Amino acid sequence: MFTLLTDLPDFAMKPMKTGTKIGLAAFVLALVTARYWFYLASEVALPESRVWFVVAFLLAASLGVYAFVKRTSWLGAIPPIGAIVIGLFLPFTIAVSSQSVEANRVIAVGDTIPSFSAVDGSNNAFDSSSLNGHLVLIKFFRAHW
Amino acid sequence: MRAEFDRRGVQVLTVSVDSPEEIAEGRHMHGSQATMLSDTGLQITDAFGLRNTGFHSAPGSEEAEALPVPATLLIDRSGKVLWMDLSEDYQRRSDPSVVLAAMQAHFDTL
Repeated sequence: MFTLLTDLPDFAMKPMKTGTKIGLAAFVLALVTARYWFYLASEVALPESRVWFVVAFLLAASLGVYAFVKRTSWLGAIPPIGAIVIGLFLPFTIAVSSQSVEANRVIAVGDTIPSFSAVDGSNNAFDSSSLNGHLVLIKFFRAHW
Repeated sequence: MRAEFDRRGVQVLTVSVDSPEEIAEGRHMHGSQATMLSDTGLQITDAFGLRNTGFHSAPGSEEAEALPVPATLLIDRSGKVLWMDLSEDYQRRSDPSVVLAAMQAHFDTL
């Protein structure tokens, strides 16, 4: 405990180790990339290709590892650990948060739509036979109104 | 867009896993003239083969076990699918201009 207190002034005095600088850069990269990703997600405007996000995250994680190679102080080890965790965890989430349909089950152009019935927002019954003879647009939503 | 549907006599149907009550709430806010169907059991979604089989199909906040892949279909008077826009990415919005262009290409030429 007491040695910690006497160490602190030394910590403030010493110049930052190379590894610590790299670690901080890695952490900032990871945070900025993550922030941008979640901003785009909230605007429902994520790009089709996520390659650059994955590249940025993996770069942050790699820099984090490199920071340790270049040696950090014990406090300076925290940012690169953060960079490695974010840089490895988020690309995994991005890679699996895609969607897919079963190719042999999904309806295709040229198919006739199936019959279906359901209840609408006013609790009225609806049957697809009422669509006969009409031009129809059907929209399937994922999100709530 | 509504004028474009009315002008062509297009019947607009929406399908989501919302309950009728949730749809009624949303309608009050958005005033849609479409017939908005409640597909909480995913029967319509499955009939069209549009269940999202991907990993993040239904986030924890959803009550449904899965969700449909966002899709827009144009159907002719005999029930045949003329055009379909299947979003590869559930986090992307579909574009109204794309739907209008599709109607011009497929409905107006009938």
